[in-house]
Amino acid sequence: MKQISYTADQISLPPSPLHWKRFRPHMVAVCLLLLVPLFIKSTYVIDLLILCNIYAMFLSSWDLLTGYTGQISFGHSLFIGSGAYTAGILSFYFQVPILITVPLGGVVAALFGLLLGIPCLRLKGPYLALATFAASGVLAALTAVFWEYSGGEDGLYGIASVSANYVVKYYWSLSLMIVICGFLLFLVNSQYGLILQSIREDESAAEASGINVTRYKLITFVLSGFLAGIAGAFYSHTQMHVGTDQFSLHLSIMVVLMSVVGGLGTIVGPIVAGFLLILLNEWLRVIEVVRVLIYSFSVVLILLFIPKGIVPTVISGIQKGIEKMKSPARS
Amino acid sequence: MLTLLEILVYGAVQSAVYALLAIGFSLIFGVAGVVNLAHTGFYMVGAYLIYTFFSVLGLNLYFSLILAVGLTGVLGMLVQQFCIKPLIKSEYSVMIITVALAMFFQEVLLSTYGPVDRNLTNFYDATYKLFGLVTIDAQRLITLIVAIILIAFLWFFIKHTRFGRAIQAVAQDNEGAIFVGISPNRVYLQVIFISAALAAIAGALIAPTLGARPHMWEHPLVRVFICVVLGGLGSFEGTILAAVIIGYTEVIVSFCLSSYLGELVAFAIILFVLTVRPTGLMGKRAVS
Repeated sequence: MKQISYTADQISLPPSPLHWKRFRPHMVAVCLLLLVPLFIKSTYVIDLLILCNIYAMFLSSWDLLTGYTGQISFGHSLFIGSGAYTAGILSFYFQVPILITVPLGGVVAALFGLLLGIPCLRLKGPYLALATFAASGVLAALTAVFWEYSGGEDGLYGIASVSANYVVKYYWSLSLMIVICGFLLFLVNSQYGLILQSIREDESAAEASGINVTRYKLITFVLSGFLAGIAGAFYSHTQMHVGTDQFSLHLSIMVVLMSVVGGLGTIVGPIVAGFLLILLNEWLRVIEVVRVLIYSFSVVLILLFIPKGIVPTVISGIQKGIEKMKSPARS
Repeated sequence: MLTLLEILVYGAVQSAVYALLAIGFSLIFGVAGVVNLAHTGFYMVGAYLIYTFFSVLGLNLYFSLILAVGLTGVLGMLVQQFCIKPLIKSEYSVMIITVALAMFFQEVLLSTYGPVDRNLTNFYDATYKLFGLVTIDAQRLITLIVAIILIAFLWFFIKHTRFGRAIQAVAQDNEGAIFVGISPNRVYLQVIFISAALAAIAGALIAPTLGARPHMWEHPLVRVFICVVLGGLGSFEGTILAAVIIGYTEVIVSFCLSSYLGELVAFAIILFVLTVRPTGLMGKRAVS
């Protein structure tokens, strides 16, 4: 099966999920993120970090489906958008509180995951990509058809905000991100993650060794949809707006590109990439004219020269460095 | 009666543009196994280049057409040589890099020309009455005629010339082609030149009608992809048939109901086809 090259060291045996030592860097990162509002008072930066948190959820849920299971999806905006519109419509027309709309957004997206997952079971490669493309296109077209309810191109403005206080908003987004990404990390380091990787590497071999490939693929579709739907619903509440751009091809493509830059099949990679690329995008605003140009060109370069992604390359580089430091000491 | 004729004529124009784009996409897909998502990026680049040469620099129409199409073809070869070739082993990586490239083209054009629509003057200003009933402007008529001529020419080229047979050989069996002295890499370069040039012609022809804008690649990309999969991987006749089906459905639904539903129907068709018969209308059963 043709796929983005995965090296053998990426398919590691699952350590016990309670093997905390391995997650020390993650803990440090979480602590740093928790402390951010103490030092940074600028609303602008905090808003940006909220966006980073949300993108981290989008990207890591996509990574579960594509990086781990090998089902390349070019339609992640289907899940994001369905979650966002569910939350948006419930909040706009029925004033449903956020604590209910966000999980419901996830549930609706999970249903779409199931609906899309069934026909996608036997599709591969470009066919799968097209099916996911088309599915998100169907929903985008539906929002245009029912413009009286969905607000058409403009979308719906005036959805209830998460909180008026931006620090509270930040902590909400952060805790949601930690829960979702932590859950994903736990999942992929468990036996379930190992099974998904075996499906990605060789579907028939996985089937031959007694894995119910159909069931696992479907579960992954539903799960990935559920998590992305929650993130999408939360996104619409932080923006206080839902619009067709949440269903757009552009968003799906951005999710794919950003995750690949971070490193497929690592969960951490896409999260880091989400933070890095969104912040980079903002820093480049100094040179507004060529901002997106530099941005997209660097993405192309990274894809060409670091096809494994930034995070795995950096980690293996550090490991090599440590080994070099150790080896002369031993001799 | 009038609407029926209008649908016939406008559907034909729409289908011709889709066919022109889809043929190129299908060609590189069938021959090299490359899903070139930057294909409609070439279409956009073609539209902008003809705008630059014809409207901004004021060159002769034919000269600027040749220049725009040739340059886009060369751009395609550069993309093939430096971006697709290193990754050609992995279907997914190729899809990802080409979509990144399409975004890059979009950004280049956006920063050069700005986000506004650029309107081209018609190549030939006139309106005709077809069958004494349907009014059609010369630009659309030219698009239709040029597309039909080009497709016929390409069909002849692939089926009946030495070059074409080399392309077919590589498509059928890569290693076999090497044994008889055909270099697949060279053939890939030729094919991507043809495919990018066809996309550029489509872009140049449609630019006066639709205008050139930086997001124009997204809309036809999915359509073209749909045509190729619906027609069956690498099948010339299937792709044209699919382009006609998609073109006419869109025009019919847009005329009778609303333009939003036109999009919906195209997507619904392909989801249905992928569920029921993933190899497309005329595809071979051998696809994994």
